[in-house]
Amino acid sequence: MSVDLDQTPRSLLVCDRSSFLDEKNRISSQVEQLHFNYKVSVLLPECSSAPSHLDSVLNSFSSFYLIRKLPIYELLDKHFLETAVYQGSVYGLSYRTRIDEDNCVALMPNGRLCLSLDKDSFQVLGVEGKSSRFNHRTNSRYVVSVDLTDSSMAPGGRGYMRLLTGLRSRLHLKSDFLLSHHPGGGASLQPLLSRYDWSEHRPEISTHAMTHLSCPTLLTSDLQSRDTHSFLEWLGAVDGDISCVNSSSSFLSSFVCPEPKTTLSRALRVSICGLLLPQDVHRLIQEIRSYLEQPRLESWVSLTVHGFADSPVSWGGREHGVLRGGENFYTLLMFHDHTYHLHLATGAHDSCPP
Amino acid sequence: MRPVDKKDQSAVYQRVVLKNASPYHYMKVCLVLEDESTRLSAVELKQFIITGLKNLYGEVGAALTFDLLKYNEDTLTALLRVYSRGLVKLWSSLTLLGSYQNQACAFRVLQVSPFLLALTGNSRELQLD
Repeated sequence: MSVDLDQTPRSLLVCDRSSFLDEKNRISSQVEQLHFNYKVSVLLPECSSAPSHLDSVLNSFSSFYLIRKLPIYELLDKHFLETAVYQGSVYGLSYRTRIDEDNCVALMPNGRLCLSLDKDSFQVLGVEGKSSRFNHRTNSRYVVSVDLTDSSMAPGGRGYMRLLTGLRSRLHLKSDFLLSHHPGGGASLQPLLSRYDWSEHRPEISTHAMTHLSCPTLLTSDLQSRDTHSFLEWLGAVDGDISCVNSSSSFLSSFVCPEPKTTLSRALRVSICGLLLPQDVHRLIQEIRSYLEQPRLESWVSLTVHGFADSPVSWGGREHGVLRGGENFYTLLMFHDHTYHLHLATGAHDSCPP
Repeated sequence: MRPVDKKDQSAVYQRVVLKNASPYHYMKVCLVLEDESTRLSAVELKQFIITGLKNLYGEVGAALTFDLLKYNEDTLTALLRVYSRGLVKLWSSLTLLGSYQNQACAFRVLQVSPFLLALTGNSRELQLD
């Protein structure tokens, strides 16, 4: 009986080690495939204030828009498709919908519209879809995925009309919606935005300077599995303001910085939250690489990107869900010699990261 | 970028996939009390959770070590760390803890993850106006 109590839901951690200079490195595609990013957090050791170039890159992250109570059939509007979806990439995600309880909608940059629906909504909608990969015993969740750029979904066509009538007259699917467009920005979304209650938002940037931080010594050689997890745990502690200074006799916590360790006299943590585009994350990575090229006291920088927990899709349009948690994030540890360690983590209702 | 002599490059590429390898699980919990103005210190909270473990699993269960990583006394929100094989025991004893000093209480489990980093980037906390 006690064996069963030891079980926890499946989680995956992929650890990639490579170099930016290696032509076969897949870091660009791995960054680009996580379409919906919620938070980017950067840790700069031996740094007390954000360097001006990094600051300007962070301030130039694209704005995103929130539309209140958007009827989802509006995403099929002919004019919206022609001006926004077919030109460039639209990133759209339903806001304040929980993937394990409500209906969620995502519009991916490649023009794919993904609806994650509960059983009743799916049956009312009446459009072809598949049952969720993560259904256990009973089919309670269904996924409808259509490619809006495909010829079968051209405005006026049969597939298009069936989905449009489904969303408009049968299932009146309405949700608050987060929207962003690359590279057009707000201009291509204006016709859609102007019809509803909308607001523009800038990603929220916060910085936190720390002094006398214990830090594990980072070597470019092998990081064993145990070390990987303790390093990620230490990063989480720094991100969450958790103290690493606990004596062995402390009642409350025995959490300490992993050995071997050094002390950083100062460190800077910068984080940015909102609906963030992978293109902006990519620019930030390039900027950090040029920051590392100069000789520094500490020759590494860590960047963590969190995906949305309630997005119906994770890396590359693969289905994502929440069982006990909706984690899908990656941590990129960059060194001055252009090598990097990339850790991609997912929870139970996720496939293996790329 | 400085041009790099291609002869110096050694193509070192390694990919390791770890499944269920995290030794710890982390929980973000919040204590809701009948009398909302009651405050507990960190030590009192940890002792309270240990009594819950003892009620359900006995002395051996109460010996399950867990860490109170962070505690906010105003919102009664705590971050706990426990060994993965002890997660179910800790969670079930939190669920069944019903009263604190003769007043009704409940633990709300806000987030659970094998990664501490996931607890600092929860998109459900995104508040726009």
